[in-house]
Amino acid sequence: MSGTRWFPTMLLISIFQVITFYQVIFSADGTLNMAAAIVFVIFTAIEWLWSVVSTIFLKKSSLALEYIAFFLTGISLVVAGSVKGSLMVKQFIAVVIGFVCYVVLLYIVSDVERAEKFRKPFAIASIAVLVFTLIFAKNINGAYNWISFGGFAVQPSELVKVSFIFVGAATLEKLQSKRSLTQYVIFAAACIALLFLMRDLGTALIFFFTFVVLAFMRSGDVRTIIFLILGAAMLAGLVVLMRSDYIMNRFATYRHVWDYATGKGYQQTRVLTYSVSGGLLGLGIGNGHLRDVFAATEDLIFGVLCEEWGMLIAFLVAQAFIFIFIHSIRCAKGARSAFYSIASCAAGGLLLFQAALNIFGVTDFLPMTGVTLPFVSRGGSSTISCWALLAFIKAADNRTWAEVKKKK
Amino acid sequence: MNRISRRSYIMYFFAFAFFIGLMILFFTMEANSGKWVVKDYNKHLYSNGELLAAGTITDRYGVVLAQTVDGERKYNDDYKVRTATLHVVGDTAGFISTGVHSSMKSQLTGYSLLNGVYKLKKNGTGNDIQLSIDSRLCVTAMDALGNNKGTIGVYNYKTGEVYCAVSLPTYDPYDKPKDIMTDDTGKYEGIYMNRYFSGLYTPGSTFKIVTACCAIDNLIDINTRTFTCNGAWVNKVGNKVTCNGVHGTLNFEQALQHSCNTAFASLAAELGNEKMQKTAEECGFNKKIYVDNFKLATSYYDVSDAYDIDRAWSGIGQYTTLINPCHSTMMVGAIANKTGYTPVPTLIKGKNTSKMNFMGSVSAKKLNQMLRSNVENYYGDNRFPNLVMCGKTGTAEVSGKKPHTWFVGYSQRDDLPLAIVVVCENSGGFGIDVAIPIANTVMQKAYELYVLAYANLGEEG
Repeated sequence: MSGTRWFPTMLLISIFQVITFYQVIFSADGTLNMAAAIVFVIFTAIEWLWSVVSTIFLKKSSLALEYIAFFLTGISLVVAGSVKGSLMVKQFIAVVIGFVCYVVLLYIVSDVERAEKFRKPFAIASIAVLVFTLIFAKNINGAYNWISFGGFAVQPSELVKVSFIFVGAATLEKLQSKRSLTQYVIFAAACIALLFLMRDLGTALIFFFTFVVLAFMRSGDVRTIIFLILGAAMLAGLVVLMRSDYIMNRFATYRHVWDYATGKGYQQTRVLTYSVSGGLLGLGIGNGHLRDVFAATEDLIFGVLCEEWGMLIAFLVAQAFIFIFIHSIRCAKGARSAFYSIASCAAGGLLLFQAALNIFGVTDFLPMTGVTLPFVSRGGSSTISCWALLAFIKAADNRTWAEVKKKK
Repeated sequence: MNRISRRSYIMYFFAFAFFIGLMILFFTMEANSGKWVVKDYNKHLYSNGELLAAGTITDRYGVVLAQTVDGERKYNDDYKVRTATLHVVGDTAGFISTGVHSSMKSQLTGYSLLNGVYKLKKNGTGNDIQLSIDSRLCVTAMDALGNNKGTIGVYNYKTGEVYCAVSLPTYDPYDKPKDIMTDDTGKYEGIYMNRYFSGLYTPGSTFKIVTACCAIDNLIDINTRTFTCNGAWVNKVGNKVTCNGVHGTLNFEQALQHSCNTAFASLAAELGNEKMQKTAEECGFNKKIYVDNFKLATSYYDVSDAYDIDRAWSGIGQYTTLINPCHSTMMVGAIANKTGYTPVPTLIKGKNTSKMNFMGSVSAKKLNQMLRSNVENYYGDNRFPNLVMCGKTGTAEVSGKKPHTWFVGYSQRDDLPLAIVVVCENSGGFGIDVAIPIANTVMQKAYELYVLAYANLGEEG
């Protein structure tokens, strides 16, 4: 997206957001939702400001990535607002923090030398945070992956995703000896094992997939990857055997949700029924019944979109992750250094894989693992980490640094 | 850098896999949408498990059988219409699975993939359905059955439309008996079942139509044969199939008229397992038959490993043989059409259904003549005035209880192409005394409604 083409795109996104926010700001009974109105104004201002600053002042002309993220973020804000105005404000605060993280991370990785310095601290901090979580976490819905600070609950595993890619890309980029690879394999294995112990199977799978992408981008050897996957599958099989109670529970209803419609298949059957109730065009924001089901605007958001926004928009949202991923691959191909290539593919792959686990999980195509839909699901930690991950893809895009190069 | 860029091509595979997955998901949702949307927990359609908003169901003359008024499901105002049509219309909680409320839910709710349940939410109602049944005929049939449990089905063998499908016991949906689940006297036995579509009964002598069909197909000399009845058929080792009388010497046609067990047991024994099995299956036994959105209970016949005595019993409709009443009307419909073909039944007025074959045209023509002869020369046309009736009675022995009585037949009038089945469960007596008068009452009503009314119109015009 170069030069003048950003304007019509941003305009279309704004029109879409005016229409959708309108339904939350002015509710059916005529009352004005002030909080939603304020969020809308500030959010729109950020979108336009970023566009103008990027294109006119910084001459960073590729905005495709941000626009996809703005589109998805707008939807998540409206869904949160349709539940409660205060939830929209909370979600918006997370978006702002995420956006700041995005800019800061972009600055950190803009210089590969500088990025290298952050490698070890990030790795150590990640393991420390995960261990801390494992010890002090509260059990929420069967998983020990939440930490409370005062009134705030944080999901540290979401934030570790960012440093997992950061550390991985930084290590593998400078891969001269077997030692650094071994170090990274140990780091990755430790992260995944800790997630397993937290009973956060979904995130563990996401980490593993990301690790495979990282390793492949580095070695380029398909056979190694296949051995890696087989090895991990065997290991996972062993773990399943040892801890059959909790993992088998998750798989018990898989592909049989209709037989357990009042029990363990409750959420999936509701997602399917209410999704098709909405039809292609949807019933209108706030008119659905899936929102009354537990975790509707978090894990089950895809079903809420189908029911209220229509299957057309819901599947468009799903396609957005393909665009992000393809964008990350294309950026990787032309990136200045292997660090960017690896990080970009890993971040794009992570978002796509997480979207797949979420969408196919709630619809019973895959076992339900309770992961969120990136950018769209309500939730602070996950929103922040999604925006931060975007920085890796953005950083790989040569156009981002066009101006920097010229200065040199 | 080149190596990295080549590797990234492999990454496209993941994007492609995700895209294919989305397509499969989308088309799975599309294909199953009608099934998934009507789940009873869907609050768009149900409140406390009761179907609320749905289209209006009317009978073939537009009489409203069920409709939604102010968000509440209402039935016909008349108690008799409500109870007589209950099993066809169905309840809103889905107990009666072949009822229109269950089997045509997605049409009734006006669901479409494009708009979802939006139409229903906006208008508070779905699509209307006009049924082929005639509520007046149903009420007459219910009254004619009286205190019997059982069923009466009337079906147009030219169009496939079902005019009447009454099943007893029934109940008033406005005043559902509280003790249905707790009662142990058996008075509510099968109350949620539409016996016409879902019942399975021992056919008794009505099965002799199938045995006769097999004989016509396989025995060249059948029309010139004589049978001697001494009160029972006995096989070589002395096992007996007793007859309802001592008929002396009978030809084939007379044997069917007198419903002579000796003759038909000997025919079945002679024809053998293979031929009996083949004819029965051609006649629709062991075959899945779908009516609109539901499956009929599948009639059962199996003599593949039977001894001659069992086969002989099966030839007179006993042994393990079971028949569905709707299937039996289709079978005589195929005979009435004289082609061996008859349209698959439907509950939707004016719906075209495919034709189904039950036998060859030679057998159909011969059986048509024999069933006509039954009424003309044996039961008597005075039992069915004006109707040019054909048919066969049955008295089906059931262990430990009084026998079921049957009549299955049809009118040969061009202006009244209706087939009828009457089953009175454990009524005792004989088909000729119990089932025939009931069948006549219903057919006379049909004659009045569809022949006389039009004749009067003609005179007026």
